[in-house]
Amino acid sequence: MLRNGNEGMSTIPGFSQIQFEGFCRFINQALAEELDKFPIIKDPDHEIAFQLFAKGYQLLEPSIKERDAVYESLTYSSELYVSARLIFGFDVQKQTISIGNIPIMNSLGTFIINGIYRIVINQILLSPGIYYRSELDHKGISIYTGTIISDWGGRSELAIDKKERIWARVSRKQKISILVLSSAMGSNLREILDNVSYPEIFLSFPNAKEKKRIESKEKAILEFYQQFACVGGDLVFSESLCEELQKKFFQQKCELGRIGRRNMNRRLNLDIPQNNTFLLPRDVLAATDHLIGMKFGTGILDDDDMNHLKNKRIRSVADLLQDQFGLALGRLQHAVQKTIRRVFIRQSKPTPQTLVTPTSTSILLITTYETFFGTYPLSQVFDQTNPLTQTVHGRKVSCLGPGGLTGRTASFRSRDIHPSHYGRICPIDTSEGINVGLTGSLAIHARIDHLWGSIESPFYEISAEKAKKKKARQVVYLSPNRDEYYMIAAGNSLSLNQGIQEEQVVPARYRQEFLTIAWEQIHVRSIFPFQYFSIGGSLIPFIEHNDANRALMSSNMQRQAVPLSRSEKCIVGTGLERQTALDSRVSVIAEREGKIVSTDSHKILLSSSGKTISIPLVNHRRSNKNTCMHQKPRVPRGKSIKKGQILAEGAATVGGELALGKNVLVAYMPWEGYNFEDAVLISERLVYEDIYTSFHIRKYEIQTDTTSQGSAEKITKEIPHLEEHLLRNLDRNGVVRLGSWVETGDILVGKLTPQIASESSYIAEAGLLRAIFGLEVSTSKETSLKLPIGGRGRVIDVKWIQRDPLDIMVRVYILQKREIKVGDKVAGRHGNKGIISKILPRQDMPYLQDGTPVDMVFNPLGVPSRMNVGQIFESSLGLAGDLLKKHYRIAPFDERYEQEASRKLVFSELYEASKETKNPWVFEPEYPGKSRIFDGRTGDPFEQPVLIGKSYILKLIHQVDEKIHGRSTGPYSLVTQQPVRGRAKQGGQRVGEMEVWALEGFGVAHILQEILTYKSDHLIARQEILNATIWGKRIPNHEDPPESFRVLVRELRSLALELNHFLVSEKNFQINREEV
Amino acid sequence: MVREEVAGSTQTLQWKCVESRVDSKRLYYGRFILSPLRKGQADTVGIALRRALLGEIEGTCITRAKFGSVPHEYSTIAGIEESVQEILLNLKEIVLRSNLYGVRDASICVKGPRYITAQDIILPPSVEIVDTAQPIANLTEPIDFCIELQIKRDRGYQTELRKNYQDGSYPIDAVSMPVRNVNYSIFSCGNGNEKHEILFLEIWTNGSLTPKEALYEASRNLIDLFLPFLHAEEEGTSFEENKNRFTPPLFTFQKRLTNLKKNKKGIPLNCIFIDQLELPSRTYNCLKRANIHTLLDLLSKTEEDLMRIESFRMEDRKQIWDTLEKYLPMDLLKNKLSF
Repeated sequence: MLRNGNEGMSTIPGFSQIQFEGFCRFINQALAEELDKFPIIKDPDHEIAFQLFAKGYQLLEPSIKERDAVYESLTYSSELYVSARLIFGFDVQKQTISIGNIPIMNSLGTFIINGIYRIVINQILLSPGIYYRSELDHKGISIYTGTIISDWGGRSELAIDKKERIWARVSRKQKISILVLSSAMGSNLREILDNVSYPEIFLSFPNAKEKKRIESKEKAILEFYQQFACVGGDLVFSESLCEELQKKFFQQKCELGRIGRRNMNRRLNLDIPQNNTFLLPRDVLAATDHLIGMKFGTGILDDDDMNHLKNKRIRSVADLLQDQFGLALGRLQHAVQKTIRRVFIRQSKPTPQTLVTPTSTSILLITTYETFFGTYPLSQVFDQTNPLTQTVHGRKVSCLGPGGLTGRTASFRSRDIHPSHYGRICPIDTSEGINVGLTGSLAIHARIDHLWGSIESPFYEISAEKAKKKKARQVVYLSPNRDEYYMIAAGNSLSLNQGIQEEQVVPARYRQEFLTIAWEQIHVRSIFPFQYFSIGGSLIPFIEHNDANRALMSSNMQRQAVPLSRSEKCIVGTGLERQTALDSRVSVIAEREGKIVSTDSHKILLSSSGKTISIPLVNHRRSNKNTCMHQKPRVPRGKSIKKGQILAEGAATVGGELALGKNVLVAYMPWEGYNFEDAVLISERLVYEDIYTSFHIRKYEIQTDTTSQGSAEKITKEIPHLEEHLLRNLDRNGVVRLGSWVETGDILVGKLTPQIASESSYIAEAGLLRAIFGLEVSTSKETSLKLPIGGRGRVIDVKWIQRDPLDIMVRVYILQKREIKVGDKVAGRHGNKGIISKILPRQDMPYLQDGTPVDMVFNPLGVPSRMNVGQIFESSLGLAGDLLKKHYRIAPFDERYEQEASRKLVFSELYEASKETKNPWVFEPEYPGKSRIFDGRTGDPFEQPVLIGKSYILKLIHQVDEKIHGRSTGPYSLVTQQPVRGRAKQGGQRVGEMEVWALEGFGVAHILQEILTYKSDHLIARQEILNATIWGKRIPNHEDPPESFRVLVRELRSLALELNHFLVSEKNFQINREEV
Repeated sequence: MVREEVAGSTQTLQWKCVESRVDSKRLYYGRFILSPLRKGQADTVGIALRRALLGEIEGTCITRAKFGSVPHEYSTIAGIEESVQEILLNLKEIVLRSNLYGVRDASICVKGPRYITAQDIILPPSVEIVDTAQPIANLTEPIDFCIELQIKRDRGYQTELRKNYQDGSYPIDAVSMPVRNVNYSIFSCGNGNEKHEILFLEIWTNGSLTPKEALYEASRNLIDLFLPFLHAEEEGTSFEENKNRFTPPLFTFQKRLTNLKKNKKGIPLNCIFIDQLELPSRTYNCLKRANIHTLLDLLSKTEEDLMRIESFRMEDRKQIWDTLEKYLPMDLLKNKLSF
């Protein structure tokens, strides 16, 4: 399945391969590596020994189907069997035992944890090793430091000061002499001096006191510990101290790992064997030598660029899962040890399986993984807005997470594009906002070398002698550190005249610089015009005409496009749509050839080599982002199909191509101010022809609990004191009927929580009611599941999940059909986004010279300042394509063929379309691309010719239905007593500083006071206002400050500042202190 | 017929169908000329007809469908390739021709396996199908398949709220817009001051009516819209006569007022408040009540307007006029009082 012979060809690798390769590495190698580390567990008397073997472990096929795992909220996992040996006296047992379950990756590259699709994204970290840096301190003296980074991300620094003393800084607090460090690590002075190139520096600097400190290893360790842990006084050397140091220092700061060892050897020219993964005294001494060399100019003065990709490594799924597996094995080891001890007490005869499967240990593995997937920052909920999102999510690389950077503190340089990103990490695709530059996306051709964690990019080898030997051009994958030594011809040299090669000079990259080099000298060249873009970036047609900022927005917004009820291919594309759609796996693809027996809306029967395979189809299923996943069969009955053919199409794909939006007729002109500031005016046609209609499925769930009194909550239809109308959809069990139409406020699941009926807990009027009417006040509280605001729709599924008799969970799935409406966000593929401001009847829209009304009107002022000219090219070419019934797939950077190539193409196609359809208005030489159009209300032509065209416009997931919100009263935050924030919490709208100014400007003192006190944080006024309005009294006027002011005063007090006010009496100058 | 209606205004106005073709069963095209029109008339007729054709024509659609035993419209039926939702979308697109009023019932009842097209719809007598090949569903198994449909003639589009119909029927957001596109163009011809215009009108319809019929219906709808104006005149005068019979001086008063408004000297009329005119309190109150505050307000009112003010009498009018004469420069009031 993986790497199916793509090496020789320049085909684009599978987009989800990154994830698969990672997981395969985990299953095939990492498991064995960790099992290898599992020690032989022996009891103190060596009577019993337990051992796991790394060889011959097996994974069982998952016991449940993927679909059921999602539906039943389970984890999709498979059981791991390992062969184990138990020596018990003279009895040797060998058995294949199950040690637990491991979550399994599915065909999307995701995991299913508790019914939720999750994905682990790749982390990009500073590689372990040593990095040298020279910088000027505030006095202008250069300081040389070498930073050793361990496998866990721990840092220790070696520095040389102006007195030529060498210090090691192992923690933030203290610096330690290098001699103490090396002695503590186990070498004596003799060895030190023998192993360094500049012994005189070492000799010159220890004084008598220092010498005494390092005369023995114990003393050095003691001294080191004192400095490291910052403890004073006299310590006595002990084993425990040694152990603690081992744990805190040597394990955290000195484990280099495989990659670190290689880097260390490379950087310091050492030849320490690969399996020696810890920092050795030799390393430290070599590092010091290098440092001294830098200081005195005898060595090479080279700063390491920490942002260079060669100094970074990828921590993929494999590494993360491996760590967790190791962790789980460690826990297993403890558990087994415990059981062995118990075995001795009970004197029973154990087998390997009985040692492992007592109830707690059998779920050890899965709970470890579940916590990992649930809490680890790099394990994210799979973004399933549309097929593109699915594909792109697995290809993200993030600098965040444990051992990495944080959004708030990362420097500008670490966020910046680096020359080494070329062909590896996309220079435009990153998130906006606080994490800008920290999360990136892999370029389409990039692949990860899982052994060393580097990102490789393919190039064609074109050196003369190589080309002669092999006729086919060879593809080489270059890692970032090899990249530097090659002269790489950039993509814009591809159209060179083959005739006279000697005279050719081409722009090329060499050692992070752009040079012009003779063709002869070029070693490799890039293989693909959009080799250095991510998927999102390479789906933008005419990207070379767009500003990078807008291209970034586009690649982000394409991921937010909602699948529409009837999708449509784009007229103008880049040619990558097909593979993106295929690799997202939303369509059903024939895994083998055969003949279609029957097709149905929920399954396809395929007969292949005598067997009949049933292929289930997805039907209106909810995705993680509440969009609708649906597959439609696309093959007729009885047809013979080949392997790889599309059997059924998923959401937002047409004919196996990605189809996120619709081609609509747009005009760039102002229209009565309705497209001011990026607003968009649309035609009613887009509403009634269901052009931008999407389906959204929401999940609502409720769980029954047992109250603290021990009585269970009950799901029932009999809910007192509620309108019959709200209960109309419930069946006799008290759960909403399948297929019913529900509106806001309707009860989906009727639930009663029993309450204790003690006299005191009655509400005040209850006693009265009982006395007068003999009414029994209900002993339970209604805690039903109600449909929240904006949740109207059709109930398409109701699911009961019962784990035990008292714990029932009911899930209701509601499907909404949403037409486009005012307030929805739409965007093109060039970062041109806007909000619908008005929907006009088609006869009111401006119309073209053939009477066709325009569908969307954009503001022309949105183009020049944003510099996304690609949209103009796209719309003009789209118009031509629409008239000529053609689809264009244009690879970016067609300008490399000739100057103004894009414009020439667009104009010639427009001209062609104009000629073909005999519509002279399509191409008018005085204003090509523009046309005179008319106002639909008056029939008058507009003053200026207007740019019209067909653009591919997407409807984004930001829709008003999910944003609209109002509040009269609601929850207040605990500390400040101001209304809480956010729609989800029924929050208020903040009246900030500027809003207060506005009210002040109007002079509306009472409204301002009301907003700042009764409606906000004046506790007493807030309570009294209710009474006052009910009884029609005067609204109380309080003079004391509101709650948030008190908070401020108290915060000041904690800084020892007293803020108070005093009343001084006029008569006797008596001072009255008023407590704030 | 149409000619008679239109020709009412000009003598030699004629229309002609220049071109008419059927591109497909659901795309009809027609081109019409209207000529000769005087300058500017073509625009008036053209835009009015375009808007009427696009917005006012009625069409017949399937508005509701009921399936036998389907839990909801997003479910699937075994043995059918399409989901219920897709069948509803297919039904939405079916073009019907009828002249019915109100709601009619139709149905589909077939046995699979076969393709269901629009032909399989069993229709009431007054309704017919335009394109019998329009697909509805594809039955792949030998099952009985029945849908009950509701047909309605309507205008524009409805997005019905899906109420909980207990009978298990689902509304279809029907679009009753039989005219697909309309365009008009104007050509001037003739020489010198004898210029006249020709109006070209192009109409594309979805086949449920021909462009000619569409044009006829649009014109009818337009005329219906203007009809009230033809009657309104008589009713309005009779209403006026009941009140008082002060028609003759109306015109002169009006004239003088307009003269005043053409105030060349540039006295800022809106800066003179009626308070300054020293009117008797009764007149003053009357005017104030009618929201007349400045001289400009007063002058912009016509004679009738003033008379319509509650408890405004003849004396008041005279009073106002006298004061106006007193306060305003005499050259503005060239015409002497005529009453």
